[in-house]
Amino acid sequence: MTVDPNTTRVENHVLLRGVALCKRYIQRAPFSRRKFTVDAVNNVDLEIQVGQITALVGESGSGKSTLASCLALLEKPDSGQIFVEEQPVTGWGARQLLALRPRIQMVFQDSAGALNPRFSAARVIQEPLEVQGLSSGPELRQRACSLMEEVGLSPDRADASPLEFSGGQRQRLAIARALALKPALLILDESLSGLDLVTQAEIMNLLLDLQGRHELTYLLISHDLSMIGQVADYIAVLQRGMVVERGRREQVFKRPQHEHTRELLSFARGLEVAFHSAGAEARG
Amino acid sequence: MTSGKWRIRAAGMFLGLVHAAILFAGFVAPVEPTHQNRDFPFAPPTRLHLLDAQGDFHLRPFVCGRDLRLGTFFEYDENCADHYPLRWFVNGNEYRIAGLFTARLHLFGVEAPGQVFVMGSDNFGRDVFSRVLYGGQVSLAAGLLATAVSLCLGALLGTFSGFYGGWIDESFMRFAELFALLPWLYLLLAVRAFLPLHITPLRAFVLVVAVIGTIGWARPARLVRGIVLSARTRKYVLASRGFGASDAHILRRHVLPHTYGVLLTQAALLVPQYVIAEVTLSFFGLGLSEPMPSWGNLLASLQQYNVLVSYWWMFAPTLALVVLSFGYLLVADALQQHLQSASV
Amino acid sequence: MRYLLRRLLHSVYLLAGVSVLCFLFTDLAPGNFFDEMKLSPQISPNTVAALKTQYGLNRPLPVRYLLWVKSVVRGEWGFSFAYNSPVWDLLAVRAKNTLLLTGVATILAWLIAVPLGVGMAYWRGSWADHLGMGGTSLLLSLPELVLALGLLYFAVRTHSLPVGGMSALNGESYTFLSRLRDRLAHLVIPVATLVVGSLPLLVRHVRASMIEVLDAPFIQAVRGHGVTAARTLFVYALPAAANPLISLLGFSVGGLLGASLLVEVIVGWPGVGPLLLEATMARDLYIVIGAVMISTLFMIAGNLLADAALIALDPRVRTRA
Repeated sequence: MTVDPNTTRVENHVLLRGVALCKRYIQRAPFSRRKFTVDAVNNVDLEIQVGQITALVGESGSGKSTLASCLALLEKPDSGQIFVEEQPVTGWGARQLLALRPRIQMVFQDSAGALNPRFSAARVIQEPLEVQGLSSGPELRQRACSLMEEVGLSPDRADASPLEFSGGQRQRLAIARALALKPALLILDESLSGLDLVTQAEIMNLLLDLQGRHELTYLLISHDLSMIGQVADYIAVLQRGMVVERGRREQVFKRPQHEHTRELLSFARGLEVAFHSAGAEARG
Repeated sequence: MTSGKWRIRAAGMFLGLVHAAILFAGFVAPVEPTHQNRDFPFAPPTRLHLLDAQGDFHLRPFVCGRDLRLGTFFEYDENCADHYPLRWFVNGNEYRIAGLFTARLHLFGVEAPGQVFVMGSDNFGRDVFSRVLYGGQVSLAAGLLATAVSLCLGALLGTFSGFYGGWIDESFMRFAELFALLPWLYLLLAVRAFLPLHITPLRAFVLVVAVIGTIGWARPARLVRGIVLSARTRKYVLASRGFGASDAHILRRHVLPHTYGVLLTQAALLVPQYVIAEVTLSFFGLGLSEPMPSWGNLLASLQQYNVLVSYWWMFAPTLALVVLSFGYLLVADALQQHLQSASV
Repeated sequence: MRYLLRRLLHSVYLLAGVSVLCFLFTDLAPGNFFDEMKLSPQISPNTVAALKTQYGLNRPLPVRYLLWVKSVVRGEWGFSFAYNSPVWDLLAVRAKNTLLLTGVATILAWLIAVPLGVGMAYWRGSWADHLGMGGTSLLLSLPELVLALGLLYFAVRTHSLPVGGMSALNGESYTFLSRLRDRLAHLVIPVATLVVGSLPLLVRHVRASMIEVLDAPFIQAVRGHGVTAARTLFVYALPAAANPLISLLGFSVGGLLGASLLVEVIVGWPGVGPLLLEATMARDLYIVIGAVMISTLFMIAGNLLADAALIALDPRVRTRA
């Protein structure tokens, strides 16, 4: 059992592990017999350690979202195994998975689409609690309001529709919802894309804050290596469904082995400087 | 209130009034629909007078007596020596409201032996106005019930098909396509052809409702399916699954609320269509028949040449039908506009 | 071309599906032509049973279906009990008449609807537009039944038009021109009913399509080049709006067929409508099925023609298929 001298987090516990995951999509052009098979996820191994921020990087079409869906137990991979806290969950049905759901929650990219516009903000946050039957009545509302405060939203707006919030505020709402079930792992699928840089930094700060308070583990998914570079502990690079490079942040950044990683890094260089200051402040 | 909401309310109120008149047919109608007056077959609508034979002005309008013109079949002369004042809120024959309460109060009437035929009388001397009102109860009920059947069936199948997708969806769409393809009147007749011709009125009613309802399920089903399909792919549905929501929860909370608007609009469009379907069937003698009055069999007498030519007031049910259709059309239009602007 | 072939195959599938559906319905139903005969005391039950066997009504459903299909292929389309003749002989004549009526009505309706719709779209929001919308609303609430009866009433009262049938009783002896005039006179009421019945929806659709197109930038460009309004509307805008309208044309055939049934019966036009009604009352099984199939055939043909027209006229459809 090793203890990283830089932090007080324990680092040998694997929260989520994927082994040889494959998922393929078959598309058929209408009225034609030709089929296109796309290997969205091709033989991927991935480990997510407790307490760490693991980043999954790749361009669009690299299979990041599909992999995330599989890891979040929202989709079933065609082959391979998934272990949640060393427990194999391959082939589990909806009922069995129900108990595991609170452990892993996901925050999506498109917050406007991820939150039902007809619900009030409070209702959005309450829904997971309702579904899991964890509380009811006035207690629900209390939980919702306190969660809103935690993510930096004013509980006065509990009855507003998600559409009345700005993009950044909506993401905070989505994060609040994800926290409702007190998860161990939060998967953030491109959650910062589409926001302006200042808001991105704010949300990132919030996430780091929350991590400290609730002992969360993060899986960050993004195409933006520069932003990831500030916060991630461990990075895996995905290209066309395969992991082409993995390693600790310093390793990947200073000595990238794979060409694709080098490509991505070169795009990101320009922005890294801007982020460095914001990220450095956040980390204290 | 935005103009859209205003229009819905205005149209709704108008329609509500029409429905109220029909529901309270017993109140609005001066006499029973089955009350025969063999002395006055095919009498034209009664005229209201304010000046009597002596030239005196009466504040209360009155109705004159009528005599059959000798030597003719159904022509009448007015005999204003007898005059019967028109009274409001009179007590008349007993009737039932919605089959539950009994009452005797009528909106208007005249003392016997005067009659006020607002829309004339038919070949048995029965008051057409009363028959139109009572017939409206039957035709409207048939239309409403058939609409309910179609919408329930369509919503159920459409939701099932759209939500579960895959081969269920494919085969369902093919099946629905067949139904949507057939001209409904042909199908209606064909189906009706193979059901017993002579049945009790209640059974006939149920039959008509069932047949009309089951023919029209395809269109609402397709609309609902489309909505369910697109709602199912929303990210918030995925998120719900992420915290373990069951299919029932997702359907109830996230998917089905989107369908209510469309279902309402469809209802407003279907009811008049189905009322017309019942009227058509009964007109041809394939729907409801005497003694149960429906607008269809009331109009059936127009198939006789002499009736069509000489007794124009027998067209009365068409007025009622048009008024009803127009009301529903206004509501449907207003609903559609409102929904379009709301979904933006 | 391959696309059309696929649509053709699809149509065959649809026809087969409809025919199966029909047969299933008839099987579900209690009673048939011969059972009605049983009510008559003059016919013994043995005769009824023998007739049933002769017409194969006591064979199982799939066998009956196959026999019917064979009959269709032979060109007979089954056998009518009441008329004692192959169904096709009865249907063919009636179908021609219905086609004549529906065809004329469709052409006339579109000839009127297009300019009206275009005009309303062009003067969108003006009093003319509002009048048009109000008028269409009113017409939409007039069921065909009412229209037909109403027109009939006026025709009879004014003695202006012949009522009933396709031609005058002694029309054989007329000259060609007189016969033509006579035929046209007989067409007026039913065609008028059908046209007025289908106009409101058509006008609304044309108007809606045109409005969408008129908002497009390329129309502004065309106007900017100084093209007259009329030319812009009919040479540039209308073809662009034609796509959904052609589909509607194929679709409206079906609506018109349904309406024509009603009109034919009321007006006395000898088309498929009155035949179907009669057969319905008499439970003449194969005529009913034949009539439904013919109307389905017309509908499918209409849709196919619309598809073909779309492919010929709209290059975008060609490249996609």
